[in-house]
Amino acid sequence: MVLDQDLVRHLAESSVSVELETEDMTLNIGPQHPSTHGVLRLVARVDGERAFDVHPVIGYMHRGYEKLSEVRTYPQITALVNRIDWVSGYANEVPFIVAAEKLMEIEVPERAQYIRLILTEMARISSHLVFMASYPLELGAATPLFFALRERERVLDLLEGVTGGRFHPNFNRIGGVKPAYGSGSSTRKVIQDLPAGFLAETRDAMDKVTVVVDEINSLVAGNEIILARTKGIGVLPPEVAASYGVSGPNLRASGVKFDLRKVEDYLPYHLFDFEVPVGENGDCWDRWHVRLLEIRQSVRIIQQAIDGIPSGPLQAKVPKVIKVPKGETYVRAENPKGEMGYYLVSNGGQGPYRLKIRSASFSNISILPWILEGVLVPDIIAIMGSLDFVLGDVDR
Amino acid sequence: MGFLTDLFSNFWVSLAGKLLLVGLMIPLVGLVIGFAELKLSAKMQARIGPYFAGGRWGWAQLIADGVKFFQKEDLIPAEADKPVFKIAPILVLVSTVGLLVVIPFGPGLIFRDLSVGVFYALAISSLSTIGILMAGWSSANKYSLMGGLRAAGQLIAYELPLVLAVVGAVILAGTMSMAGIVEAQISSGYPYVIFQFLGFGVFMIAALAELTRIPFDMPIAESELVMGYLTEYSGFRFLFFFLAEFANMFSLSAIAVTLFLGGYWLPGISEDVLAWAGPVILMAKAFLLVFIMIWFRWTFPRFREDQLQSLSWKILVPIALANIAITAVFKVVF
Amino acid sequence: MTSSPSETETTIHPLQEFADEVAGAVGGEAEITFDTVKVRVSPDQWVSALTTARDDLGLVFFSFLSAVDWSAEVEVGDPPGEGVEERFEMLAAVGDLGAGRRVIFTTDLPKDSPVIPSLVDVYSGANWHEREAHEMFGIDFDGHPDLAHLYLPDSFVGNPLRKSYPLLSREVKPWPGTVDVEAMPGGGDETDETSEGPSEENPEA
Repeated sequence: MVLDQDLVRHLAESSVSVELETEDMTLNIGPQHPSTHGVLRLVARVDGERAFDVHPVIGYMHRGYEKLSEVRTYPQITALVNRIDWVSGYANEVPFIVAAEKLMEIEVPERAQYIRLILTEMARISSHLVFMASYPLELGAATPLFFALRERERVLDLLEGVTGGRFHPNFNRIGGVKPAYGSGSSTRKVIQDLPAGFLAETRDAMDKVTVVVDEINSLVAGNEIILARTKGIGVLPPEVAASYGVSGPNLRASGVKFDLRKVEDYLPYHLFDFEVPVGENGDCWDRWHVRLLEIRQSVRIIQQAIDGIPSGPLQAKVPKVIKVPKGETYVRAENPKGEMGYYLVSNGGQGPYRLKIRSASFSNISILPWILEGVLVPDIIAIMGSLDFVLGDVDR
Repeated sequence: MGFLTDLFSNFWVSLAGKLLLVGLMIPLVGLVIGFAELKLSAKMQARIGPYFAGGRWGWAQLIADGVKFFQKEDLIPAEADKPVFKIAPILVLVSTVGLLVVIPFGPGLIFRDLSVGVFYALAISSLSTIGILMAGWSSANKYSLMGGLRAAGQLIAYELPLVLAVVGAVILAGTMSMAGIVEAQISSGYPYVIFQFLGFGVFMIAALAELTRIPFDMPIAESELVMGYLTEYSGFRFLFFFLAEFANMFSLSAIAVTLFLGGYWLPGISEDVLAWAGPVILMAKAFLLVFIMIWFRWTFPRFREDQLQSLSWKILVPIALANIAITAVFKVVF
Repeated sequence: MTSSPSETETTIHPLQEFADEVAGAVGGEAEITFDTVKVRVSPDQWVSALTTARDDLGLVFFSFLSAVDWSAEVEVGDPPGEGVEERFEMLAAVGDLGAGRRVIFTTDLPKDSPVIPSLVDVYSGANWHEREAHEMFGIDFDGHPDLAHLYLPDSFVGNPLRKSYPLLSREVKPWPGTVDVEAMPGGGDETDETSEGPSEENPEA
């Protein structure tokens, strides 16, 4: 029997395969979960070990900051705003206050600027130490957690000594930082500066932070298992990152040498000498490594700032009741998590007409559907942890 | 003394005595090792560890935990397969107890010296795999099942290196009896680890994987699996698994000591001293290996499942096979 | 073009050149407000302006997208004052990754039917920002793949950030207006007139 050509072609083209009916499972990671840094819910379709179609569901912590700030005065908003990214509390206040000061055209005294800078860098160290603690824990290594958090306690004690709060300093005032008043009847009107011994203790704490960062680096950097779990995982190309608005160490790990501290003037970073660490491949390992190097650079900045801090007033002269004149401006800062910005629209009132808060983690995790496509389930945790987000920052 | 030897020469009395001893060893060893884990991990992490239970050392912590577990309500999920659910922890514990039977604690101090001791030890340690699968399956929980299957995959994958690693020591000793291997090391004058370092290394790694300890604890600590196959277990059933894990650490370490590190023997110690010092020496060596296991647990992160499998199949099995080949050649030639 | 009031007519703002370049490239109107470059375009130029910004001007980094609700009557806060044109003012902030130049593109939408083409094909990050603007302001984005609620529950009705949407806690307690200044514990008002620092020598040095 001779097979005619059509039949041959038909047999060649038809795929004779038995389609196995496998159901894929819908996996719900969160909202209560040890690894999601808060109440984040990921709905993923999982086929065997691979996840497809990952949808983050956010909004569990939405507190309505933008609406609230329309009914608050500027000092009140300062208290609200450091709860956005609660891990690095102080750093959230600075761009907001700078925006208000820009509209009022107030010149902040140098000493206050230096203090703001020191505290912001301490907030950065604190935030990155939390990352150093929690990321290995998500991969299974339990020990760096204790080392990192122990040193973070030193930094938090210093922050508490100056501002009165570990996480929510509420230390900025329009025109400078809050001068402390004595509490006794005779010292009530005496304005106190930084607590005694603060600068010496900060130097000491910075030395200890350097030591522990080296310890954690030696524990983690050469470890084969950590390298196997993080190298080549979650690669983020710089174009994709820029298009999504990913900023901060996540962007720098992809090879983009861009740091808002070098290009914006909200704090006098141009007076200090520091490097901007950049990664090579944009994988989880680079995101870890960039943050580790950033801690070292922050220590460097603080040491220079302590050496050069000028004397002077802590706050410029401001009127009794703060009314910010009409205007609009956008001030953005290099928060530990990325770019944090405030678009302030003022009407001349005591509070803003509209305050748009651009939070870093919101844009950082908007990349999750893209980056988690086709990824193995254990790697989901590794990638999410490496993005280092905080739900307060995402949900505002 | 004569009275005691007469008493214990009676089969049933000695059987009862052995059962009692083995039965007591499991909780005791489990308690000691568990406490060591708590304190050692604390020291490694700049903490203190148990402090309040039983004076400043906190030695009563695990006893208190044991009592706590026992008096908890016995929760079995409604959908669970009850007989299987109940038997699973017992099976795991039985395999641990079975392992202790063939470990030589001293010259002549062995519960039962089987001529196929090594074979028996490896076989009975793989019973726990079935127990874990039963636990995962019977829990009526999607994630427990996933954890149980992952554990089964891991344990089966690592049985092979475990078995192959000991073959080298068996070849050198010429016998499969555990007591015989120790005696062979005594008569040759050196512990087998000197030549069987590859086998020892493979055995220790495979033992860690058999115990599902970090770095191989993906079945338990996987993010969405809560405690994996152990999720639905609470109360004294969980205590069985818990004790079984620690006792298994000891058992596998003791087997490694027997096969590779010279067992209850130290060079330069005479035979009659070994009669009472043997158990002490064996315990000391076994605890040294247990310490290393605890050390690894708190230092390393965990492997991903596929990395774990490729480690076993692509690296450990070839090394173990090469080890056998080399050992056999050396045995024949020299 | 407005500039900060403190500048005299003769000094040119350092960003003026950049602002003019952007405005020229996209066909819009530039404005520098307190060191921020704003370029106003019309709604049909929205997508093309941002595409030009991304491709020709090197502004590849997407910062945020949001809106401002300009209304004469407000339920919360103070009204904007005289002569404000009622509209939604869309804001899209983009920047570059080198010198850190940034532009806020803005356009005006009518209050009764705010529709604007979506930017998801230009900047992927616009996806979530547009979802947020949609649920908060009720602005419709043409061409967005999935305008589901982002923050608010699916059953939520209303657009919270509109000025016509009340803040429920303020229904209970009215807006204090100009009298909400409380004394801080410890005596001094933080908005005190006098703010002299400590003595000249640095006690910590």
